[in-house]
Amino acid sequence: MFFKMLLGALSRQKRKHLMIAFTVGLGVSLATAMLGVMFDVGDKVNQELKSYGANLSVIPKGASILSDLYRFQDEGQTNGESGSAGTSRAGSPIGANDPSGSSASSSSSSSAGSNQAGAADVANNFIPESELYKIKMIFWAYNIVDFAPYLSIDGFVGETSVPLTGTWFNKHLSLPTGDEVDTGMTGLKSWWVLDGPPGDDSEPNEVLVGKEAAQKLNLTKGSQFTISLKPGGEGMTFTVKTIFESGGEDDGKIFASLAPVQELADRKGLVQRVEVSALTTPENELARRAAQNPGSLTRLEWDTWYCTAYISSIAYQIEEILPMVRVKAILRVAQSEGAILEKTQLMIILLTVLTLICSALAISNLVTANVMERSVEIGLMKALGATGLGISVLVLSEILIASFVGGLAGYLVGLALSQLIGLSVFGSHVAIKLVVIPIGVLMVLLVSLLGSLPALRALLRLKPTEVLHGR
Amino acid sequence: MVKKKITNRGFALKMIVWSLIRRRSRLLVALTGVTIGATVLLGLVTLCYDIPRQLSREFRSYGANMVFVKDGVTGRLEGETLDKVKEALPSERLVGLTPFRYEPVRNHMLPYTAVGTSFTDVRRTSPFWRVTGAWPGASGQVLIGTDVARATGYSEGSLLTLDGRNASQARYEKDFTVSGIVSSGGVEDGFIFMSLEDMENMTREPGLVDLAEASLTTGGASLPELVNLVKASVPGVEPRLVTRVTRSEETVLSKLTWLVYLVTLVVLTLTMICVTTTMMTVVLERRKEIGLKKALGAENSRVAREFLGEGVMLGVIGGLLGSFTGLIFARVVSYSVFGRGLSPEVHLIPITIAVSAIVTVLASLWPVRRAVDVEPALVLRGE
Repeated sequence: MFFKMLLGALSRQKRKHLMIAFTVGLGVSLATAMLGVMFDVGDKVNQELKSYGANLSVIPKGASILSDLYRFQDEGQTNGESGSAGTSRAGSPIGANDPSGSSASSSSSSSAGSNQAGAADVANNFIPESELYKIKMIFWAYNIVDFAPYLSIDGFVGETSVPLTGTWFNKHLSLPTGDEVDTGMTGLKSWWVLDGPPGDDSEPNEVLVGKEAAQKLNLTKGSQFTISLKPGGEGMTFTVKTIFESGGEDDGKIFASLAPVQELADRKGLVQRVEVSALTTPENELARRAAQNPGSLTRLEWDTWYCTAYISSIAYQIEEILPMVRVKAILRVAQSEGAILEKTQLMIILLTVLTLICSALAISNLVTANVMERSVEIGLMKALGATGLGISVLVLSEILIASFVGGLAGYLVGLALSQLIGLSVFGSHVAIKLVVIPIGVLMVLLVSLLGSLPALRALLRLKPTEVLHGR
Repeated sequence: MVKKKITNRGFALKMIVWSLIRRRSRLLVALTGVTIGATVLLGLVTLCYDIPRQLSREFRSYGANMVFVKDGVTGRLEGETLDKVKEALPSERLVGLTPFRYEPVRNHMLPYTAVGTSFTDVRRTSPFWRVTGAWPGASGQVLIGTDVARATGYSEGSLLTLDGRNASQARYEKDFTVSGIVSSGGVEDGFIFMSLEDMENMTREPGLVDLAEASLTTGGASLPELVNLVKASVPGVEPRLVTRVTRSEETVLSKLTWLVYLVTLVVLTLTMICVTTTMMTVVLERRKEIGLKKALGAENSRVAREFLGEGVMLGVIGGLLGSFTGLIFARVVSYSVFGRGLSPEVHLIPITIAVSAIVTVLASLWPVRRAVDVEPALVLRGE
């Protein structure tokens, strides 16, 4: 009897049920789309923020401010004190805007330039290139988006001094774990404006030249030049592949593949500094404490910290695997990243929650309207001797069945909507999280019950005669 | 003739008001639906206006996006030039303008770079600096970079003496107290920071600066336009964009803004459809009433007009209520995410009310038309 009535009601009152199914479907598709975006927006925005470049700077333990100081002294002796002030000033303006740790670069350019450092100095001021693959083997290896080493020297083209930096443009690494990794500077400097193709490690004699350096040396695309360690000395010949504009101090530099620069500087297999770009979790109180002193944490806190992708724990893990380095978080990037990520996530979460509340209210509202118009039907059933419970079960089943059919359709539409948002905003798919399904089911259940129960109770309280009489 | 018209209108009004009052529960349902729609509409559209602006402020945590140096190869900027630059830039968009002056100094025979700056401004343009200890408050206090602290062993409260020679080769020497240690992971780690006044006192040289950094929010004239503006109105200064910051901000911010727009569009469309279906349900159940009216001799147009009137009233009341709750909605989001309130866009309120009324009327038109088209006898019999 119950099923007969249920089926009858469902097939006969198609329009009413269609309306419920449609509205619930809308609500669920909204919920699915918003939740899908909400769960994935952090990863997506994090990925986007990588365009600000590296957030970790890896320097040799021994490279301290002291080597910087020697440079000042050298220059002070050769050029006189005011001269050194002049160079430091000229470098500083744009240096202040470059968070890549140019103190390290200038420090080592002096020691590489002097070219008479002892073995201890080499160990202190350089990182072996052969160890760098280990950066991709830390606990949070998959969060390392890109990294590139640098070796800078002060070269001379004719009589003009120009900084020459060796790096990986697009290095292919085969890790002992069997993973294949492509990394390099091209991904780290996404804001550079190139007037030609990006650098390529397979053509070691082609270089990228900064706009200011090109002006100074009178170089254009395709021209060749010879660079040496001493003015007029023997050197290497490079071809200008591309001229770039970085809007920073890099504009005054020449970038070449690592190998020829190592050869020129007589620093085979060594680099001075590595920039790492990592996906991180916004810092919290725990991460700040850990960054100051990891020893101050309790065992449990330490585990939590170590197993979360905080910038400080990634820095710590790199120091662990490469004992000869010091890793500094580039706060300009790291801190802003955290702040923006947090705000965006909070914004989307709030929007999602508020929208969900609104759509839940709207659906409940519709269900209430739907139940209310059944007053005559309910009165008739009561008059024919149906119990309140029986009527409630019947009406609720009708509504729930309609809701679930609508909800299923809504889920599919919602998935499509979230993909549409993901593709059109970020150009990539939004990850499908299964946790959305139970949330959706719960929402449908709650919303249908909340919408129908109060109205049902009110209707059941009415006297059948009154209702049927038309009041 | 005139009299008849008035009574007609009076009668119609009476019918509308009565139908609204008699069906309190149904009215409540319809009104709730419209109010929710209006809330989402006004709330989201207000946020759409506001979020890109607020986010742009957040992006200023990446530091300066414009740098001013002396035009030509070398040389220093004068304080007055900076004042003029400040005047030329739109004040409501300028987060901060920080001067920097670099001087080579020595401490115990070892050379360092001392930087003179304004600590109030640098906190605005470089909010990512992490200071342990205190920011310098009084004259004679300095901040030292963490690499300097590491190399020298100085900590908070240490005394240090800096000496050097100024441009006219006169020797100077001055004592300072370390008020705090600054770390940024960048070049700042290797500098000693003091106020510009302290630096002038120390070197006995007047107020010249090497460069100034400005942090500007987006909105209005684009940054390259501002560069040209400053170039044209202030002689002797060369403004440069920090491409790293501006270009990345452009990409990320435009994507986030687009995300907000798209989410708003989706939510709004779905909510409006939701309101429509609710209104349809409410009107559909009044088919009998329509049939009865028609049987009593009401014309189709008259019935339709009545429902339109009801729809407009519902839309206006719901829109008003929704505008109020929508503003709260937007305020809650803005306060809890960005910690700042927002200026209500007053002109959006009439738009919200109009849209609500239109949606309500459109939503009731379709079922009314269907009811009107049907023979009264059929409707009244319950078919």
